[in-house]
Amino acid sequence: MTSLRVVHYVNQFFGGLGGEDQAHVGVTVKTGAVGPGRALETALGDGARVEATIVCGDNFATERAAELAHAIAAELDRLKPDVLVAGPAFGSGRYGLACAHACKVATDRGVPAITAMHPENPGASEARRGVCIVPTGASTIAMPAALAALAQLARRLGRGETLGPAEIEGYLPQGRRRVHDRGRPGYQRALDMLLDKLDGRPYRSEVPYAPPERVPPAPPIADLSRARIAMVTTGGLVRKGNPDRQVAANAVRYHRHTVAELESLSPAEWEAYHAGYFNHLVNANPNYILPLSFLRDLERQGRIGKVHEHIYALPGVSTPVAVSAGHGRGIAADLKAAGVEGALLVAT
Amino acid sequence: MRLELGSFPVTEIVFGAATRYDAGRLTVDPDAVLAAVRQDPRIATATLEIARPGESVRIWPVRDVIEPRIKVEGPGVCYPGICGRDIATVGEGRTHRLSGMGVVEVSSVNWHDAGGDFVETYLDMSGHYGAMYPYRTLWNLCLVVEPDATLGEEIKNYAVHGAALSVADQLGEAVRSLTPPEREVFELTPVDPSLPRVVYIWCVHSPQAMSGSPTAFCTATYGLTQLTPPWYLHPNEILDGALTGPYRTAFAMSWTVANNPLFLDLYRRHGRDWNFLGVISLRTEWTTQTEKQLMANQTAKLAKQLGADGAVVTWDAGGNEFIEVVRSIQACERLGIKTVFLTSEDDATDGAPTMLEPLPEADAIVSTSFFKNVTLAVPEAPAVARVIGVSSKQVLRGSTIGLHAGADAALPTAGPLPPPWRYDDHYGFGSLSGIE
Repeated sequence: MTSLRVVHYVNQFFGGLGGEDQAHVGVTVKTGAVGPGRALETALGDGARVEATIVCGDNFATERAAELAHAIAAELDRLKPDVLVAGPAFGSGRYGLACAHACKVATDRGVPAITAMHPENPGASEARRGVCIVPTGASTIAMPAALAALAQLARRLGRGETLGPAEIEGYLPQGRRRVHDRGRPGYQRALDMLLDKLDGRPYRSEVPYAPPERVPPAPPIADLSRARIAMVTTGGLVRKGNPDRQVAANAVRYHRHTVAELESLSPAEWEAYHAGYFNHLVNANPNYILPLSFLRDLERQGRIGKVHEHIYALPGVSTPVAVSAGHGRGIAADLKAAGVEGALLVAT
Repeated sequence: MRLELGSFPVTEIVFGAATRYDAGRLTVDPDAVLAAVRQDPRIATATLEIARPGESVRIWPVRDVIEPRIKVEGPGVCYPGICGRDIATVGEGRTHRLSGMGVVEVSSVNWHDAGGDFVETYLDMSGHYGAMYPYRTLWNLCLVVEPDATLGEEIKNYAVHGAALSVADQLGEAVRSLTPPEREVFELTPVDPSLPRVVYIWCVHSPQAMSGSPTAFCTATYGLTQLTPPWYLHPNEILDGALTGPYRTAFAMSWTVANNPLFLDLYRRHGRDWNFLGVISLRTEWTTQTEKQLMANQTAKLAKQLGADGAVVTWDAGGNEFIEVVRSIQACERLGIKTVFLTSEDDATDGAPTMLEPLPEADAIVSTSFFKNVTLAVPEAPAVARVIGVSSKQVLRGSTIGLHAGADAALPTAGPLPPPWRYDDHYGFGSLSGIE
């Protein structure tokens, strides 16, 4: 077996150029291992060699990311290593981001890459974008343990292996959940976990907490009396008889209907088709899910500028978040292009 | 409250001249059993068929699987309240059960007529799809039953379920005066006071909001399905079927509720690993955020008043009902009650969180894998030699969620068939999970 060829990325401090006063320095490439790279070589074993060390100041890496990416790409193309290792960055935020950035540059070019840092390092959030990150302590005291964990996975990545799930391999979760047979029924695992939790022993949730994405709201509409207002509903509004064959849940598409000529929604022409609530009420008065009649009143009174001529409808039930986000982007782009300033989102 | 549960294991079901149990062999007199079913004028047609474990047979449409249980000593009847049965408080005395078998309610009656929510479950007695469910290992006596078509949907539901319970009752009668081969005593005996005190927060869907009816058919508590504040149930009441009846998934059946392995193991380890305090049953699908939070607060308060140190939480539904469930967990944790949550997961595509409302307090979750069969990539169930029930599966406009969207069609049920849209192992029967 040929020995592993590694390119190592470190910051100015670990590259021996100096501390914070040297954080502005640009990219330099040194032949062979530098600083922690020597211990990394030892940890990798089997004659593994750090062919080159890319050193870059932390401020430079953050402020001039494109230049850094270019330099890393050039080195990878020249040396064609088996794996890129970045860091460990521990608790250092700019360094952590640079390490994650270096890994992305490498994987985009088909070179396996791995880094290590504290789970609360800002760079660790890049795990969600597929960067392989080994968790470490917050300071360099954790160096030996970090290098050992890093080397173990780097060796396998460098040999072209695909790693197993994060929970088993020990890297930070990447948000890619898959089916896994744990070999023991769920009820036994639940009661074991209960006993561990009650007795104060360590336990590991099978679904680690992941904070939900927050969407900052758009700024308020400056002048509502001149604004074009649209209506979007996840209430499952369909034309009577559902001629468009919309589903009652798990929507793969949304429908756009024209209401330019309508004063209100009539139960003779519209109904609900939605697997998540009591449809009969809105079938009697569809304006409950899409309050067109009320918006027309506001339009006449001059309190809003104009009711947008198109409405958007789909059933908001059991739709995967990724698909929902796609629907949302599509509708939002349409509305933006039509000059809509505000949208009434009617849930159920 | 002391309950002795006597089990009569069924290792074979045959049709014969008289209904009787003998050393594992259950002989069923179909004419007598069906005559009793047909006494109900709401029933139009009824037949019986037997499905053996491992047989190439498919049962469609499956509304429920019921384990026959009868009260031998003590007040009340098993499966109380539902379909107008006696509501005397159960859980005391002696109950006999026919284990290793199910009475399968096979009928095209839909849950209700409000909003595209159809009966989707079918069972295979062999093959990869059958192996995903506990019913495949049972001997199943299938009641294929249709009600008077002129009745309303809700009455039809109670008519066909009442018919299935009548079959289960008649089988139970066969073992009333026999000595059970297996006996187990269930009692919340005083235990070592140093043991941690544990409650089971068992969340159950209410069909009220969806159907618009407070009496809509579903898993019932002494017959009630409406939205009510949390109930305290003695675990012996559960063993006598105080919580019974199906909901719309294969894991929310009367049999599965009665044989919930999490509940049984919690109870059997009373006095050894913990002090089991009993069951708090929380109805879900409240419609406003205020109601959801109120139920969460009251559930946690009740657990605290019972003296709970810990709680294990399950639910049988999906979507917005997650809110009252996860907020109950949060409320418990804030009162110092340590929780474990057993749940399935939503679709994880593009790294989406698989919990509808992730909360940091829910820090001990056991995953029973994904909610939907399509996310689990379950292949079509293969063709079978025989179908019990209806020979075609009507795909209504836009139904069969996630499959054949929008196409009206009738699939032959003996042929290869897509799995129902939901998997959702509510009580942790299986070992499938999610991981990242």
